[in-house]
Amino acid sequence: MSNIAEMITNLEDENVMTEVKKQLDSGVNPVEIFAACQDGMNGVGKKFQEGEYFVSDLMMSGAIFKDVSDIIAPYIKNSDGDNAGKVVLGTVEGDIHDIGKDLVNAMLSAGNFEVIDVGVDAKPEAFINALKENPDATVLALSCLLTTCYDAVKETVALVETEGLRDKVKIMIGGGPVDQGVVEYTGSDKYGKDAQDAVTVCKELMGL
Amino acid sequence: MKPSRLYLDRVEKIKKTIVSENDKVTTCIAAGATPAAHMGVSLKDFASDLDLNLDISLKYFNEINTIAPIDCLNVQLGGMKINVVLSSLWLSKIKMPGRELPENSLWQVAEKKVMQDEDYDLVIEKGLDALVQKILPQVLDMSEFEELMEYNQKYGQKNAEKVMSNHYPAVNGGVASPPFEVLCGARSMSTFFMDCYKNFDKVKDAIDVMLPKTIENMITSVKQANGTGTWVGGWRGASALVSPKIWDALVWPSLYKMGMACIENGITPTYHLDQNWDRDIERFLELPAKKCVLNTDGMTDLCNARKKLGEHVSFMGDVPAQLLATGKPDQVKDYVNKLLDDIGTKGVFLTPGCDAPANAKFENMVAMYEAAVNYK
Repeated sequence: MSNIAEMITNLEDENVMTEVKKQLDSGVNPVEIFAACQDGMNGVGKKFQEGEYFVSDLMMSGAIFKDVSDIIAPYIKNSDGDNAGKVVLGTVEGDIHDIGKDLVNAMLSAGNFEVIDVGVDAKPEAFINALKENPDATVLALSCLLTTCYDAVKETVALVETEGLRDKVKIMIGGGPVDQGVVEYTGSDKYGKDAQDAVTVCKELMGL
Repeated sequence: MKPSRLYLDRVEKIKKTIVSENDKVTTCIAAGATPAAHMGVSLKDFASDLDLNLDISLKYFNEINTIAPIDCLNVQLGGMKINVVLSSLWLSKIKMPGRELPENSLWQVAEKKVMQDEDYDLVIEKGLDALVQKILPQVLDMSEFEELMEYNQKYGQKNAEKVMSNHYPAVNGGVASPPFEVLCGARSMSTFFMDCYKNFDKVKDAIDVMLPKTIENMITSVKQANGTGTWVGGWRGASALVSPKIWDALVWPSLYKMGMACIENGITPTYHLDQNWDRDIERFLELPAKKCVLNTDGMTDLCNARKKLGEHVSFMGDVPAQLLATGKPDQVKDYVNKLLDDIGTKGVFLTPGCDAPANAKFENMVAMYEAAVNYK
């Protein structure tokens, strides 16, 4: 594991920023630097899965990753932009919670997925529009923190069906009160029990 | 007002359950939003009209109680205007049905950084009150706060008697929020968690300053309400949410000291623990035996907790919200029976995890209590 990857895995925010800037200044390929950052995030995910890291650690790593991505992005704008796949993400209508959604966004981005974030309190139509504008998106990720918004998840899933998109789009859900029973209730495909699991589920749904 | 025999019996049952000397499981209810839909009232009216709130809640509880007895309330009913209470607890703005949200939407926290970076110094130099005076008016219309105070002064006694005349004692007469939760609400969760990494010492200093006043306010509030117990809230300080370093230094010391202060004042602390607390559950052994209650929401493994804690604490839990909202009565009964098979009935208050959801099916609520009452 490279220096940068290790620093990210160890949540050394200031050291990471210094090292990334130093490497960019000295001409290291930004794509390689970004790959090291992703390696570091994989290390964070591993520690989370092993019970060594907790949600606050994921949030800290997400913040570090966002900061370094912002620095690196201008350098790799026109470079090789291969990603693992595209995901449309949002919190369903009636629910304004964004913490879980943002964390999933960070972890998916770090996992090399392109994420189209439609925000919170998103009507079913907002998800449909995003899916139509991004026909290469194959996973729809719905966040729901309120049991009273299960019906909004169900309605979103139903609209995906009505719009003829269900065959090409897998639907994953997540949020505090979400489990297999809610998957069955809403007609979605699978749930992620936390932000790191969302990456695993997304890969599975995309057949990666 | 003289309490009924049934009320007194139920009070006795609460006391016995706290010390694990109960014969059967004790049924307990927390349903802050659930009654509205079943009773045909909008959440807007239910949340804004305190008289209606109390009457509808009692009718709803009584409807269940006629089928399967409810022994007690988790938290005392009456005079709890939810946005005022939650804003005061967390220093966060609460969006309300019929105001910022559609009239049948559940109230929700507006996650926003209100407390600025320099406000840590304000707390450290001038204390908790200075922070509250600065932040609370930014997240709550203070006239609502004053109206609630006046309402409770005027009708508090009458409402307490109304609840008593329906024979429901409460385990908890108040709700207290540890400094960690207050700062988390005022800073917003994402910002505050970053603070815990980047400005650890400053956060700790602020918590150390806030804690004595928090304890003083908590004890005063419970005594004023003639309560015998209080919630000590564990929301975003859950083990699953924060690293051990943060939990050990910024979460647990407050929880411990607040609990000890309650116990020293003859008050039972009910640790209201949302999310998963498995990693640190053994730490509750540090508190005196049979003096506190752990109120979990289905995410903490109570079977594991029982193994680690035995009868050192009593348990209040933990039928999950999603099961009550989407499950079937048989599934709910299976859950309750398995839970009681796993942890037994001694020292157990059977109740919805956290708080029954607004869309809990009535038949599931009934099934939960029927299973508890019929458990042998």
